[in-house]
Amino acid sequence: MEELLRMEHISKQFAGFYANRDICLTVNRGEVLTLLGENGAGKSTLMNILIGLYQPTEGKIFFKGKEERIESPGQAVRLGIGMVHQHFMLVEAMTVFENIILGDKNSGGIFIDRDARRAEIEALAGRYGLDVELDKLITEISVGAQQRVEILKALYHGAELLILDEPSAALTDIEVEGLFAIIQKLTEEGKSIISISHKMREVLRISDRITVLRAGEVVTTVKRNETDAQKLANLMIGHELAGSQYEKKTKSDGQTVLKLNEVKYHEHSKHNGLAGVSIEVKAGEIVGIAGVDGNGQTQLAQVVTGVISPEQGALEIKGEKISVSDPSAFIGRNVSHVPEDRNLQGLIGDMPISDNLILKLTDSAQFSRGKGMFLKKKEIRSYAENLTEKYDIRCTSVEQDVRSLSGGNQQKVILARELESEPELLVAAHPTRGLDIGATRFVHDQMIAARDRGVGILLISADFDEILEMSDRILVMFEGQIMGEFSGENPPVEEISLAMTGR
Amino acid sequence: MEKLRKSLTTFLVPLLSILLAFLIGAIIMAGLGANPLTAMYALFKGAFGTSASVGTTLNKAVPLIFTSLCACFAYKCGVYNLGGEGQFLMGATTGFCVVHCLGLTGLPGILAALVTGTIAGGIWGMLPGILKITRGLNEMIISIMLNYVATLFMGVIYTSWIRDANMPQTPSVDDSLKLGRVISDMRFTWALIIALAVGLILYYFLYWTSSGFKLRAVGLNMTASRFNGFPVKRYILISFIVSGAIAGLGGASDLLGTQYRLINGYGSGYGFDGVAIALIGQLHPIATIIVAIFFAALRVGSTSMQVSTGVPTSVSDIIQALVIVFSVAGMALTKLPEFEAFRLRLFSKKGKEEVNA
Repeated sequence: MEELLRMEHISKQFAGFYANRDICLTVNRGEVLTLLGENGAGKSTLMNILIGLYQPTEGKIFFKGKEERIESPGQAVRLGIGMVHQHFMLVEAMTVFENIILGDKNSGGIFIDRDARRAEIEALAGRYGLDVELDKLITEISVGAQQRVEILKALYHGAELLILDEPSAALTDIEVEGLFAIIQKLTEEGKSIISISHKMREVLRISDRITVLRAGEVVTTVKRNETDAQKLANLMIGHELAGSQYEKKTKSDGQTVLKLNEVKYHEHSKHNGLAGVSIEVKAGEIVGIAGVDGNGQTQLAQVVTGVISPEQGALEIKGEKISVSDPSAFIGRNVSHVPEDRNLQGLIGDMPISDNLILKLTDSAQFSRGKGMFLKKKEIRSYAENLTEKYDIRCTSVEQDVRSLSGGNQQKVILARELESEPELLVAAHPTRGLDIGATRFVHDQMIAARDRGVGILLISADFDEILEMSDRILVMFEGQIMGEFSGENPPVEEISLAMTGR
Repeated sequence: MEKLRKSLTTFLVPLLSILLAFLIGAIIMAGLGANPLTAMYALFKGAFGTSASVGTTLNKAVPLIFTSLCACFAYKCGVYNLGGEGQFLMGATTGFCVVHCLGLTGLPGILAALVTGTIAGGIWGMLPGILKITRGLNEMIISIMLNYVATLFMGVIYTSWIRDANMPQTPSVDDSLKLGRVISDMRFTWALIIALAVGLILYYFLYWTSSGFKLRAVGLNMTASRFNGFPVKRYILISFIVSGAIAGLGGASDLLGTQYRLINGYGSGYGFDGVAIALIGQLHPIATIIVAIFFAALRVGSTSMQVSTGVPTSVSDIIQALVIVFSVAGMALTKLPEFEAFRLRLFSKKGKEEVNA
């Protein structure tokens, strides 16, 4: 088979950190190469290099046997590289036809020869079985049709190599089948495809070869017919069981603090919904929710803290059924929340550290006279000073705006606030995302200490290591469903990895 | 230390903007052939030269204080009430109609006018608030549109319903209703005292109570406020109502203190002046009052400047506009990360010197 693309020893460095290191891969004409890897494995960076958004720090790219420096997305398109992004890049207020001819090299003049363009597009669509209605607005067509428009657009602009980023992410099952048929047709016609995915079923269905990335490096490239799901999952997660430094509690006889029974929220949205989730968290245990980002974890965290209400199913806190979902109802029942986006959801950035620490306590007698009629600013200050010491929040003064702190210290402010309220249930979503090792360790120690004090903790994280390290029980989420429950002590890493990819 | 550092930058921005605006104003005055120093002197003398002129300035500041506090309060909750003018007029109109139609006089009349004016302003402010929280409509557009409704409503009253003989204005309120002077040789009335009291209450509410704290939190980050259990929508609605009520009280007070009757052009521009003043005052109620008095001084002083030096009053308008431009630009500047880095560098140096000394 003729080689179309070769990337040789590609490295990309961001501020001392390698997002890609020494990556080599080739794509032949008429084949599907899948890039498989976890979040942060470097797939997106690599593809952004290929379409000219980033320049590699080192390495060479050969396209059709010629070395190329791809300096802009426009140049990538001229070479014949087209990308279909996970979130489509279409102008919603324009028609399908207008979107496809947008940026067309043939319409450089003032006038567009609409009829000729249309005939050309229709011919292409017929050839590859890309069924689209050219005169509909983008807002009027389904997500699957939008994807076909993106593919058609790339082909129209002369793509010979198509990059599909999580192509099935937004599609229904039927649409996914349609997509697979299109992919087959494209490869039969000699087009090449790079597909980015972490869904095992899809990877095994469509790929000719699979390149596994982990932590910015290529682990290996395997042929489809020489591998299976379990082997791939192991390669992708690549986990050597190092043993957790924390003692696991295999049996918790505490009171049940949180119970979800068949909770549903936007059931048919595979990536932003919950399709009948049942979970139980007892006092004094950490239940870890493992899973690739965007399988309903965000919605789970928001349902169990009252930010969104479940559409169906029952939610109980300490055996008491909650009928009206509202954050204050949950806070009143001693539920604490470390939200996934600390700046947007957790902190008031332009308020001082001290105010953020007492955010929910301004009505209490400790910090105000007459139920909030007069704030005791001295008390607030000394309380905040104590907490900054206890939680090792590094700042020049508690009057400093919390926005000016580093991410780790901001997270410690949230943790201090949420743990000092002596919760019975702590919901922590990605509590160490973006933190350095020291801060991560500190957050973990605090959570373990809270567990030992009898707090029930629901830990949601896309960081598999964190789940293995912290959890007493591990549940795996995939497309809004719980795929299985595993013990946190000597966790069966291989089974969990497989469950995370939908098997 | 940290507090001092913060307030220093907050004070510095308006102060520098005012100085810069006067500098450019001076250049324009020189271009018009006047001696800028003489003109400036005339301006300040006109505003603060005698106790009478101080009184006039303070009196002129009253409506501006009310509308700027109105804008300030809504901004603090993160919403934009650009309808201060309409709420001010509804307050004045309602207060007037109540005392006129019921024939109230004396203190009961005054109280009735102030209370009904406040309520009317609150209702006028509530309308954009309700539409925002229930239907997600843009509060800026609704509140601006309601200004026109209020202006026209006042129009129908002074042109037809309660017209003073054949003139397009209403009769004056009864003499017993007119607010008296606080100090006999100064023109300002008890309306100023009410305005200052409102400012102090707002300061206390925003910075010393739990509800004010939460309202500011909602204004700074609605999502985090919701995640932390604050009733965000309720706070937004309350901020609109209170903001409108402040303007409405202002309208009623100004009617009884200075204006006495409804007349064509009354209240025009007060709303937007208030927004600008609140922004220059960095949304702090006390600072807002000071800036409102400063703006009133520019307006009062410009007349005597024109009389004594021939520099047209519009130069004073230019200076006012420049203050707004510079302080808004300055505030945007202080939000830049580069500025923050510069400030930290500057202060850490100073800090070290202090330690060494």
